[in-house]
Amino acid sequence: MPSEYVHPEVLVSAEWVLEHLKDPSVRIVESDEDVLLYDMAHIAGAVKIDWQGDLQDQLVRDYIDAAKFSDLCARAGIAPDTTVVFYGDKSNWWACYAFWTFKLFGHADCRILNGGRKYWEDHKFPMTTEKPSYPRANYAVKSSDEASIRAFRDDVMTHVKARKPLIDVRSSKEFTGEKLHMEDYPQEGALRGGHIPGAKSVPWSRAAADDGTFKSADALKAIYEAEIGLKPSDDVIAYCRIGERSSHTWFVLTYLLGYANVRNYDGSWTEWGNLVRAPIEKGA
Amino acid sequence: MPAALDAIARELADADRQERIEMLIDFAKNLPPLPDRLVPLKDATHRVEECQSPVYLFVEVDGGKVDLHADAPIEAPTVRGFVSLLVEGLAGATVEEVLAVPNDLIDRLGLPEILGMLRVNGLNGVLRRVKAHTARAAAAGAEAARP
Repeated sequence: MPSEYVHPEVLVSAEWVLEHLKDPSVRIVESDEDVLLYDMAHIAGAVKIDWQGDLQDQLVRDYIDAAKFSDLCARAGIAPDTTVVFYGDKSNWWACYAFWTFKLFGHADCRILNGGRKYWEDHKFPMTTEKPSYPRANYAVKSSDEASIRAFRDDVMTHVKARKPLIDVRSSKEFTGEKLHMEDYPQEGALRGGHIPGAKSVPWSRAAADDGTFKSADALKAIYEAEIGLKPSDDVIAYCRIGERSSHTWFVLTYLLGYANVRNYDGSWTEWGNLVRAPIEKGA
Repeated sequence: MPAALDAIARELADADRQERIEMLIDFAKNLPPLPDRLVPLKDATHRVEECQSPVYLFVEVDGGKVDLHADAPIEAPTVRGFVSLLVEGLAGATVEEVLAVPNDLIDRLGLPEILGMLRVNGLNGVLRRVKAHTARAAAAGAEAARP
C-alpha cells in the first residue's frame, strides 16, 4: 500500500482553492521568482507578498521584524487564525520560502497550493488582474518558531563537528565547486566554491514532479531515506545559496515526510562560501 | 542615449512603482516575434547565460546601424519586458550609440526599486551582451569591408 504524507493537511489542491475563493477565513498569497507575474494575472482574491520587497529587511541581511510582519499581515487582511495558502512559480519554490518565513513568525495555519501557479494555469483555472483589498486585520506576532526552523552559521559549525546530517539542495555543479552559482542564474557573490563538509547533495527539484506538484511520499522516501539515509528522528539542516531552494526541501522533510527537527540555513552558500576559515569540501 | 531609449527612460523615471510594473508588462506583451530566419538559430551562442530563463539575443550591424532581435518566454515577464524595451529603445541606433548606453541603465530606469537587487543581475547580463555582440558584429563588418 502506498504511504501517505505525514501532514497532508498543509497541502491543498487547486479544486480546494477554487471552492474557498470567497471564504473569509482563507487568504491566498502569491509569491514568485518573477515579480511581474502577479500583476499579469493571479488567482481571484490573492494578494502578492514578495520575498525580497516584503519579507526581507532592506538594510540588514535578515527578515523584517515582528512589528513589520504584523503590519504586513494586517494590511493583507490576515488575522492570526487565517488559513494562508501560498502559491507561486517554479514548483512553489518561492511559495515555500514565504511559508517558511510565516512560520518564523509563528503563523499557525499555513498551506501550499500543490502544483502552484503552473498547475493552476495549465489546467485553465480562472485568473484575474483585479487586485483585492481587505479590511485591515488585527495581527500581533505572539511567538516565534525561529529557533526550531532556522539555523545560523554557528549552529551549522556545531552541526558539522557533530557529524549530523546536512543536505545541500543546490545543483550538482555548485555542490562539487565547479560552479559558484546555479547554472544559468546570476552569480550572487561567493568567493569560494564547494560545499559544507559532510553535506549530502540532493538538488531541491528532485522533490517536485514535472507538473509542479510534490512527488509521492514513497518517491520522496526513496530519495531522502533509501538513497541518502536520513531518518525521521534526525536533526537535519538544509541549505542552498540564499535559503530559498532549501525552504522547499525543508517543507518536504518537515510536512510531507514528518521530520520533527529540520532547520533551514538561510545564510547558506553566500555566507559560508565567504566566511574566513570556514571548512569547505570540494568534489562529489 | 538614443532618443527612443532616452524617452523610455524618462517615462519610467517619472512613473510610480505600479506604473513601472505595468509599463514593463506592456513591453513584455509587445515583444515582436523573432523573424523566421532567426528561429532556427536559438542556440547556446545566442543565449544569455546570466538569465535563468531561456533568453536569446541576435545583434546584426548593417551600414553602421544596429538591428536587435530577442526572444524570451512570457512566463518570465521581467526579462522579456526588458529585452523588449531594448529592442524598442535601440531601434535604428548606430553602433556608437549602442556602445555608449550607460552601464547603469537599469538603475536609471528605476528597475531595482520594483525588482529588488537580486533580480537585476540577469538584466545587467542582457545589457552587457547586447553591447558586446554589437562591438563584435561591428568589428567583423569592418574586417569584411577592408580591401
